[in-house]
Parts: sequence; C-alpha cells; structure tokens
Amino acid sequence: MAKNSESYILDMSANRKAISEHAQKSWIFDTSAFISLESINILEQVLKLFSITTTDSVIKELGDFAKHDDKYGKIAKDVLKLKNRFTIESCEIKESIKYIEATDNELYNLALKKRLALITDETKLVHHARNKIEVYFTAMFLVMLTETGHFIKKEALAKLEELRDIRNWRNNLIYLITKSELERF
Amino acid sequence: METEQFNIRMPKDLVQDLDIISKLLKVNKSEWVKTKLAEEVHEEKNKLLMELSNLYANGMINKEKIEKLVGKEVADEMESIKVVAQKSVKHGLRYGKKLRKLHS
Repeated sequence: MAKNSESYILDMSANRKAISEHAQKSWIFDTSAFISLESINILEQVLKLFSITTTDSVIKELGDFAKHDDKYGKIAKDVLKLKNRFTIESCEIKESIKYIEATDNELYNLALKKRLALITDETKLVHHARNKIEVYFTAMFLVMLTETGHFIKKEALAKLEELRDIRNWRNNLIYLITKSELERF
Repeated sequence: METEQFNIRMPKDLVQDLDIISKLLKVNKSEWVKTKLAEEVHEEKNKLLMELSNLYANGMINKEKIEKLVGKEVADEMESIKVVAQKSVKHGLRYGKKLRKLHS
C-alpha cells in the first residue's frame, strides 16, 4: 500500500474514533454552571458542541433567579431562553451526600445513573462529590474553547476576569490555576 | 440557628455611640452589632482565605501547614478545589485538542 493511502486510512480511522467519542459527549449542569457560562456568553457555543442534561430543580432555581431584576436575574432569563436545547430529567435520590442540598443530591444521583461528569462552580459540592463522580469547574470550557481557537488568549483572559467578578472569586484557586494555564497560550 | 455566648467589654464611648445609632435607626443594639460583625467577619475571613489560596496555588505553602493554621475542614476543601481546578484545565486542553483534530 502506498505510504499516502496508508496514512490517509490511519487518519480516517483516528477521525472516526474521535467522532464516535465526541458524539457520546454529554455533561450534567447545575445552576452555577449555567449562570457562569452564560455570564461570559459561551453557553451557546458549548451547546453547539455538546449535549447538556440537567434537572427540573435546576430549571426551577433558574426560574427563581429570573424573578429578580439584578445581574443574576438577567443571566438566568437568558439561560432559560435556551431551555429547549437541554435535556431535562428528574432523578430519584438513591444515595445521598450528607453535606449537600437536595437539589445537588439529585444532580449527584443523575451523574451516577448516567455515568456523566457534573459541571459546577459550587466549591462545596465539588469538595464532597469529587471522589464519587467525575466533576469539573466551568473554567474547563474556557480553556477548551481557547485551545480550539474560538478565542484568542486576550479574549479568554478577559472572559476569565468577567467570570471572576460575577462569581466573586477574587484570587481564588480556580481563577489562579485557570489564569496560569491561559497565559501559556 | 445555634448560638454561643460571647462576652466582650467595650469602651463607654463606643456603647454611647451604639445607643445613638440604635435610637436613630430604631433597631435593637445587639442585633445591629451582630449584623455588622457578621459582615466584617465574613469579609475578613474570605480575604484571608484568598491570600492563603494564593500561597497554596503558587506552592509557597502546603496542605499540612494550612491544616495547622485553619483546621482540617478548610484544608481539605482547599485541596479539593486545587485538584479539581487543575483537572478541569487539563481536561479542557485535552478535549480542545481532540475537537480541533476533529474539525481539521
């Protein structure tokens, strides 16, 4: 077989593997994940690339935020406009984590049931769930979209600053670690 | 909310000033002090923990030292945040590379 044909077939095979892995890629979002990503205007881009599952309780929480005329209220209203693009499910709580609320326990059970990673910016939830399920902060999408070329370094750093303000992160570990990574681009 | 008795002696001038505030705002003196103290404690605690996080992120202090300073619970939570933040960044990079390959 000619060298070119061989590498073409190898490329195609790698591509097919990547496509099939990506086609299965879904995430579970909590309220904080929706608020964070919409606050820096990247929720729609994330929705174009992945499928997102959440719970009725999260939609209710967003609805409660949306009743207020502050910045979170406006962000929540914008998230809810995209509601028909999320998969919304209820999940029975079969296993509870003692230190977290019922809404978070439902998300935890959904992550266990569907074997999906949970995206959240709630540090308490991350702390108590990280050894039981796969869990990531929303900063993951910022790094991902910078790597794919959706943003240049300067834009990504500006979005991180916006996220830091909206979440009141100041100099916390999520901000410092993400900033240090984005500065390497 | 569970409470605990905490006694402090205050200068007379300060107590008189509190009386003035209480009369003008028509609020209970102890309640007003409790609210103000809670705001200040929350703000200061967060500021100090952020400074500690900064040292931890830069490897200038380790978990054991944090545990000695502020206790196991805070140290464990800080470690969780650090580990998951690093994991999130790594996963973002890895997945970003995968997506770039997919679309090229």
